[in-house]
Amino acid sequence: MSFFTSKPALRWSAPLAVLVVVGASGLVVATATADNKLPERTAEQLLVDLQQAKVDGLSGTVVQRADLGIPSIPGAGGGDSSQLTSLISGSHTLRVWYSGPDKARIAVMGTLGESDIVADGSDLWTWSSQDNKATHRRLQAGQHADQAAPTDAPKTPQEAAQRVLSQVGPTTEVSTASDVTVADRAAYELVLKPKDARSKVSEVTVAVDGETHLPLRVQVLSGDTVAFEVGYQSVTFGPQDASRFTFNPPPAATVTEVAPKTHQAPTAAQQAEAKKRAEAAKADSTVVGTGWTSVVVSKLPAGYADNAQVAEFVKRLPETSGSWGKGRLLDGTVFSAVLTDDGRIAVGAVQPALLDEALAK
Amino acid sequence: MSAAEVLRPAAAPSPRARVSTRFLRSELAIIFGRRRNLAGLAVLAVVPVILAIAVRVSSPGRGGGPDFVSAITGNGLFVAFAALTLELPLFLPLAIGAIAGDSVAGEANLGTLRYLLTIPAGRTRLLGTKYAALVLFSFVATALVALVGAVMGLALFGGGPMTLLSGTQTSFVDGVGRLVLTVLYLTVQFSALAAVGLFISTLTEQPIGATIAVVLVNVMMFILDSISQLSWLHPWLLTHWWTMFGDVLRDPIATEGIVRGLLTAAVYAVVFWLAAWARFSSKDITS
Repeated sequence: MSFFTSKPALRWSAPLAVLVVVGASGLVVATATADNKLPERTAEQLLVDLQQAKVDGLSGTVVQRADLGIPSIPGAGGGDSSQLTSLISGSHTLRVWYSGPDKARIAVMGTLGESDIVADGSDLWTWSSQDNKATHRRLQAGQHADQAAPTDAPKTPQEAAQRVLSQVGPTTEVSTASDVTVADRAAYELVLKPKDARSKVSEVTVAVDGETHLPLRVQVLSGDTVAFEVGYQSVTFGPQDASRFTFNPPPAATVTEVAPKTHQAPTAAQQAEAKKRAEAAKADSTVVGTGWTSVVVSKLPAGYADNAQVAEFVKRLPETSGSWGKGRLLDGTVFSAVLTDDGRIAVGAVQPALLDEALAK
Repeated sequence: MSAAEVLRPAAAPSPRARVSTRFLRSELAIIFGRRRNLAGLAVLAVVPVILAIAVRVSSPGRGGGPDFVSAITGNGLFVAFAALTLELPLFLPLAIGAIAGDSVAGEANLGTLRYLLTIPAGRTRLLGTKYAALVLFSFVATALVALVGAVMGLALFGGGPMTLLSGTQTSFVDGVGRLVLTVLYLTVQFSALAAVGLFISTLTEQPIGATIAVVLVNVMMFILDSISQLSWLHPWLLTHWWTMFGDVLRDPIATEGIVRGLLTAAVYAVVFWLAAWARFSSKDITS
C-alpha cells in the first residue's frame, strides 16, 4: 500500500486492470474456437450423416437472428417479444426439449413473456403467457405414416446424397469445413456457394455435429454479413423427463380446442376443384431464370391491400418503376421483391435489377 | 462464485483484527434515520398498493396492460412481480441513486467528511462501509416493494398455486421462493448501480448533482438498450440484464441469462468500487 501512497495516480490501474481482464477473457472466448479439427469429410459423406442422425433426446437453447432488411411490420412485434409472429425480425432465444420424433417442446423466450409449443405424440398444445391463451389439438396416431412414398424416391441415404449433389452441382459450389465450433461442440460445416454472383445470397452454411451428426446451425450470408441464423447456443444430449412434454393449461387460461383434421378420401368434385385451383395458381405464377437467380412472378389475390396492416406496410416501401409499369420495391438483405400497382409480385434472392427483367418478360 | 462475495470486497471482517460493526451501524442509522429517505421508501411502497387496488376495483376479465398485471387476478403474488417491473426503470434506480449520490458528496457538502476521516478507520474501510450500507439499502428497497406487493396481493386476491410464464403451475411455497430469488437478483443489480453512484459521489461535493448523474447513467443505458442498431453494445449494459429476472418464472428456471446478468453486475460493481477507491483515497479533502 505504501507503493500507492507515494504514487497515488497508480491507484487507477486497479479498476483498469479489472476492465482489461474482463475484456481479454471476452476475446479468449471469442477466438478459442480454432483448435479442434475433426477428420475431413466430403460433402456427400456429410449429407449421408445428416440423414442417419439419430438422437434419443436433447435439451438446449437456440438463438435465432434475422436481419432480412424488412421494414418493421406494425403490430408484429420485434426483438425480445415472445410472440411467435415476431420471429421474422430481430434476435430471439428459444429453449427446446426433444425426445423421440413425437415428443418435443419449444419455448420462445421474450422479456417477461413466453410462448410454448408442446407435443407429446397424442396432443399438441400452444401457449402464450402474454395473452394467457392456450390451444389444444388432438393428434391422430400414425397421421403421417400412411403417406405412400413416391416411387422414384432414393432408396438409400447415399443415393439421396448423390442426387442432391448432382442437382445443385450446376449452380452451386459445395465444400466442407471441419473446424467449426457450435454450442461448444466440434462440428463440420457444409458450405453452399451460389456460382451466379447476381444472387443476393453469398453463402448458405449448415453446421453438423461431429458426434451425433445433428444439424446444429444454419446460416444464410449476404456478402460477409449473416442475414439469417438459427443455431444452438448450448445443447445437451440425453433422455428427457417425460413430464416436460405434457401440458396442463392453467385454470385461468382461455383454451381453444382445434378440431383434428379428418382424413376422408376426397370426393371427385373436391378433386376437380383442387385440380382447378392448382392450375389457376400455376397460370398465375411463372418462374423466370434458374437456380439461385430464379425469380417468381405471380398474381396477388384480389383485395390483398384491404388489410390495413398490409396496406400500411406497402405504403412504407419506396416506389420503383420500369418498362413493366410502376410499383413498390422491398430491397432486403437476402431477397428483394417488387409489388406492382397492377397486382403482381416478383420475388427472388436477387438484385432488384433482375426483378425488373423478369417483370418485363 | 457468489455475486454477494464480489460485491462486498471490504465488508468482510479480516481474521486478524476484530472489526467493529459500529461504523456500519452508524451508516445505516443515518440512511434509515433520515426523514427524506423514509419518505422515499414510502413512495416505493405505495406503488404496489395502488396497483393492487386498481386491479381489484377494475372490471375482471380483459387482460393486457403491462407485464404480469393481467396475471394478478389469478395469484396475488404477481402484485409483487408487477410492482417490481413497474419500478424497475426509474423508481428503484432513483432511490438507489439518491442514497449512493449522497454517500460521499453529501458528507462533503455538509462539511462532515473531514470529521469522518478522523476516526481511525482509513479511507478504504470508509468506502467499504459506505458501500456495504448501500448494498443493504438496495436489498431493503427491493424487498420492501416485493413484501408490500405480496401482502397486498394476498389480502386482495389470495394465494394458491401460481402459473409460471411457461404455462405450468407451481405451488405457492415455490412461488414465494421464486419471489425471494427475484429480490436477491435485483439487489445484486441495484448494488452494481450503487457502485456507479459511489464513484460519482467521490467526484463532486454536490449530492444532488451526483444523484442526477446516476439517474442519467441509468436512463442512458435504457435508451441505448432500446436502439436495435446498437445490439452489439447491449450485453455490456447493466440495465440490459435487469428484466432477466423474468427467467426465474420459467419452468425450469432459465439460468444462462441470469448468470450472465450477475457476472455483468459483478464487473460493474468491482470496476466502479475500485475507481471510487482510486479517486477517494488520493483525494484532498477540503470540506
